[in-house]
Amino acid sequence: MAKLKRSRAVSAPSRAQVLVERFPLRKVVQWSLFVLIALGVGLGSWKTFTLPAAERYTAAQWRDFVVLGIAQGAVYALIALGYSLVYGILRMINFAHGEVFMAGAYTSFFFADAMHRDGFLNREPAVALSVILLTAMTGSTLVAVLLERVAYRPLRNAPRLVPLITAIGASFFLQYTFRGLFGQQLRGYPRFDFLRGKWHPFGIPILRTQVVVLFVVALSLGFLSWFVAHTKTGKSMRAVAEDKEIASLMGIDVDRVIVTTFALGGAFAGIAGVLFALVFEYVHWFMGFFPGIKAFTAAVLGGIGSIGGAALGGILIGVAEAVGPPLLLAGAHVPSPFQLKDVVAFMVLILVLIFRPGGILGTGEREKV
Amino acid sequence: MALLECRGLTKSFGGLAALQDLDLEVSPGEIVSVIGPNGAGKTTLFNVITGIYEPDQGEVWFNGHNITGLKPNQITKLGIARTFQTVHLFPNMTVLENAMVGQHCRTRAGLFASILRLPWQRAEEERVRAKARQALAFFGPRLTGYREDQPASMLSYANRRRLEIARALATEPKLLLLDEPTAGMNPVETQELTRLIGKMRDELGLTILVIEHDMRVVKGVSDRVVALDHGRKIAEGSYEEVAHDERVIEAYLGRRAVESA
Amino acid sequence: MPASFLLRRALRSGGVGGAVLIYLAMVGMLEKFAPLDLVGTALPLSRLLVLSAPAVAGYVAVRPRIHAGEVQRPTAGPAMAAGAAAGAAAGAVAVAWMVLVRTIGVDALRGIFVSVTEGALGVLAFGLGPAAGAAVLVPAAAAAGAVGAAVRHVPGPVARALGLALASTLLFALLQRIVPTVLFELGLDPYWMYDRVHGGLTYLGALVVLGVSGVGSWQTAARRARVERRIREVPPEARRAVRLVGVAVLLLVLWVTPQLIGSVLSEIMGTVGVFLLMALGLNIVVGYAGLLDLGYVAFFAAGAYTLGLLTGANLVTAFGLVPPAIVAHLDFWAAVPLVMLVAAVVGLLIGAPVLRLRGDYLAIVTLGFGEIVRILVTSNWLKPLVGGAQGLRDVTDAAIFGIGFRDPQRFFYLVTGFCLLAIFVSRRLANSRVGRAWNAMREDEQVAEAMGISTTNYKLLAFATGGALGCLSGALFAVKLGTIQPGSFEIPVSITALAIVILGGMGSIPGVVVGALILMGLPGLLAEFEEFRFLMYGAVLIAIMILRPQGLVPNVRRMRELQEEERLQDAWLRAQEARGEALTGAGEEGS
Repeated sequence: MAKLKRSRAVSAPSRAQVLVERFPLRKVVQWSLFVLIALGVGLGSWKTFTLPAAERYTAAQWRDFVVLGIAQGAVYALIALGYSLVYGILRMINFAHGEVFMAGAYTSFFFADAMHRDGFLNREPAVALSVILLTAMTGSTLVAVLLERVAYRPLRNAPRLVPLITAIGASFFLQYTFRGLFGQQLRGYPRFDFLRGKWHPFGIPILRTQVVVLFVVALSLGFLSWFVAHTKTGKSMRAVAEDKEIASLMGIDVDRVIVTTFALGGAFAGIAGVLFALVFEYVHWFMGFFPGIKAFTAAVLGGIGSIGGAALGGILIGVAEAVGPPLLLAGAHVPSPFQLKDVVAFMVLILVLIFRPGGILGTGEREKV
Repeated sequence: MALLECRGLTKSFGGLAALQDLDLEVSPGEIVSVIGPNGAGKTTLFNVITGIYEPDQGEVWFNGHNITGLKPNQITKLGIARTFQTVHLFPNMTVLENAMVGQHCRTRAGLFASILRLPWQRAEEERVRAKARQALAFFGPRLTGYREDQPASMLSYANRRRLEIARALATEPKLLLLDEPTAGMNPVETQELTRLIGKMRDELGLTILVIEHDMRVVKGVSDRVVALDHGRKIAEGSYEEVAHDERVIEAYLGRRAVESA
Repeated sequence: MPASFLLRRALRSGGVGGAVLIYLAMVGMLEKFAPLDLVGTALPLSRLLVLSAPAVAGYVAVRPRIHAGEVQRPTAGPAMAAGAAAGAAAGAVAVAWMVLVRTIGVDALRGIFVSVTEGALGVLAFGLGPAAGAAVLVPAAAAAGAVGAAVRHVPGPVARALGLALASTLLFALLQRIVPTVLFELGLDPYWMYDRVHGGLTYLGALVVLGVSGVGSWQTAARRARVERRIREVPPEARRAVRLVGVAVLLLVLWVTPQLIGSVLSEIMGTVGVFLLMALGLNIVVGYAGLLDLGYVAFFAAGAYTLGLLTGANLVTAFGLVPPAIVAHLDFWAAVPLVMLVAAVVGLLIGAPVLRLRGDYLAIVTLGFGEIVRILVTSNWLKPLVGGAQGLRDVTDAAIFGIGFRDPQRFFYLVTGFCLLAIFVSRRLANSRVGRAWNAMREDEQVAEAMGISTTNYKLLAFATGGALGCLSGALFAVKLGTIQPGSFEIPVSITALAIVILGGMGSIPGVVVGALILMGLPGLLAEFEEFRFLMYGAVLIAIMILRPQGLVPNVRRMRELQEEERLQDAWLRAQEARGEALTGAGEEGS
């Protein structure tokens, strides 16, 4: 083998050049941003904790914030599952998933209302709740499956922006459809008597509705994990998420799996809709938009395509939303800090996508459900 | 003095080592072919040189500058151009527009100059057009005339490969990296391109690094051949030397199986 | 094509058509559109919709299919029968629904489905009683379905002329609030053409429009090849002169328009202009650079508030009008460059974090930014600066040399001027090095980088430039209203701009103009559309993406981009057909 003649390069670049080449502007900006935010969080928190005693939040209030955050986050987690599932299979964001959630809640409203007027709601709460959940799941699943069939399936092979734009259109279409069908006013969701007040698990006072939320969400997550890992359909879903073409070559009906995925995500969104309605006591044609975005944030935060990620992301977003404003802004004497809770959620989204687009539990975009 | 110098390049993807401690030198005016079986790391080498990947270890020096870790557009500006293994044209831009994009790094017109159509901007546009046409004309009349205004997606396969090279030429490079330029071409087209590669060096003063599988091209074009396998350099020298090197043959064809008794 | 298959398909199409009819009724469109007469009293918009659903069902039912490697097309007779079947099915489904509703009781249902009213049922029943209505609906739907199916068998040129004629008639009917005014201002009597009482076209007027446009398009189609050749033969110098004449004519038309259409309509067109300007900016971001920005309203808001704060607007408080915490008292025209500067800064702030993000993530993040801006301007925290939920008042007029522009007709000129400027800038950029870089970046980002284009810089440039136009549109909007209300800066604004760009054609300037006229002009002119505006926007986005992703007036380049697949398939299909003929014709041929 011929010897490689080593030769010297003409001149080494200057020190400044090396520095500029080694530390590109973008990285500098990113890291200064990170430092700024850390400082802001630290400063805000410190100021909040050093407010004069009369203005300070009590420990009980903080505890309530955290509990509220976890409960809200649990609902987000449930909705986030839908995003993760669909993304895992189709690599697209189902922008209209928030409306799937809304559809479930709204559908259940009519049944809940009828049962409430009849008094049946509080006579047989368990049955009533089951009916409500079932109708919600039916409604949302129908909408999800319809979405897939009408709006997404024709665009399976289109460049990626196209189904996204379609999804945006579908989101608006669904919102205003429900507005046209059912009217534009807020509808008060009936209350279960047995859900008034608080329970005290482990000595912590938690609103009963919140306990139900946590319980149902935990159940759902457990079910989904089991389903995806142990059933044939679940395995098909994972296969299709891995590689659509090879899965179809293995005899898996890809279309069927996709519909099932949408249906599953839709069902969970329906459950989330009921939980949301129980906690916030209303349904409205626009109710799905913001929870949808926050749930998407949660899915990305936790690592899109991963069930555990959706759960973790949901809880984190919920807590950030509930605890962030009082923690960071009250100390700075920002009036009405809770008006800005959505800003906190969006900031989390932006920061996650800048610093760790793969999410917490994700190493990249390869994580599958 | 070397135009391009790669020292100790190492790049892994997950557990797979695509490049392992690779040294490579190219002198000005040379045509060097890089050969090796699939997966040997040839395209990865190109990607590291042009800044698409950053090496885990090692450095790339070009024309006296350390270009390791620079962004691809900076490296193009410094004078390295490349084509891709699968043709990556801008399918919906016309032939001429594709070539004109190549001139981007040699021109200056920004937002305000473009809106106001200042005289120097108009002159620059004319120059860009002329240079793009020049690059296209290098391949004969096929990419000129009425062809200029056709969308690139309409071209035949061979013409698309040629357009990609023309676009790279339009960046006025000093070093040209060609990744399997004759893949998919028929023998006549291959022969012509082989001749043109030599012409690029002779008439345009380019230094050229070529990845090739077709040994006739390698033989016809190269001053020097470098053979890679599993990310390492296993042979280097003239075509004859490398083609008969045992390690190279083994890399391509495998070792002789043990004879039965 | 086997009859059973065709029938099954017809029934399926018809079922979907019927579902559409039910949807239209339940969401309230039929009832709300009933007062809008298109032609005489016989064709209100609602009736047109009722007949369109089965017509489309018929059209779809008889589409060709590829079966076992060959193309099957039903012949005229079976096609029309199938179309009629589809239409009848649609009608039948609607009738079944009406029966169901009546059985349950209209009043009982209204508690849930607020739009299910006697009115809605009446529309479906053609204004007759339930039994008679059903007896009319089904045959009418069948006829519509047959017509829809027949469209496929009309020879090409005839179909095109007919289509154009019908579209023109529909356009004139929809423009019933504007065309009569124009004719009146021109000193002509419009009432032979438009019904004075009912508003729509008279029968005579409809016939005239149909005839003129039909014959006109027929003649142009025939002469088209000749005209195009003549145009191509015109030498470049003369071409420039022709273009200048064209521009002069356009300017003349724009000059007289406000006089012709009167004050009220000028006001509507002023709003259209503002949104056109905004859409032109978004066109740069989405259409040229390929960055899907869903939070464009952030620029709109930034421009409006910046202008307000720079020109001395006031906060509305319980104590009366109060100047904001930071305020200047510049003249509008002095403030404009500063507004653009703010735009550039906002563009950088929005662009910098999203540089490395993929398309869908970029969309969501920009949406987030838009929302952050909205929340901030509505918040109590920033109330001393931007007025919170009450906003700002007393925004200055854009006066120049003492001429104010708040008068609707004057404002039309102002906004048109800015739009022309924006169009000029967009075109210059599109055909320059910058535009090439954006195109390359949009088509293949990695290769563009390899060609020496700094995608970072060009993405930021797109945000800054598009953002500048967005901010300008916000500033003009503030001038027009005289007040700045945070309610004007919600997500629907971003979606409106996006729908305009998408409908018209991404990257196509004429497309954006057409899109703005349709999506802002029509609902503005026809109050009946107002309630369903966003419903229609959503439907438009879905329909365009599925049916015609390149938009109505495509940028030729973009059309190729999104239609690639179809063309390849078409080419394959034609090759198949040719091969089929070759095999049956000349015997064997090497292929």
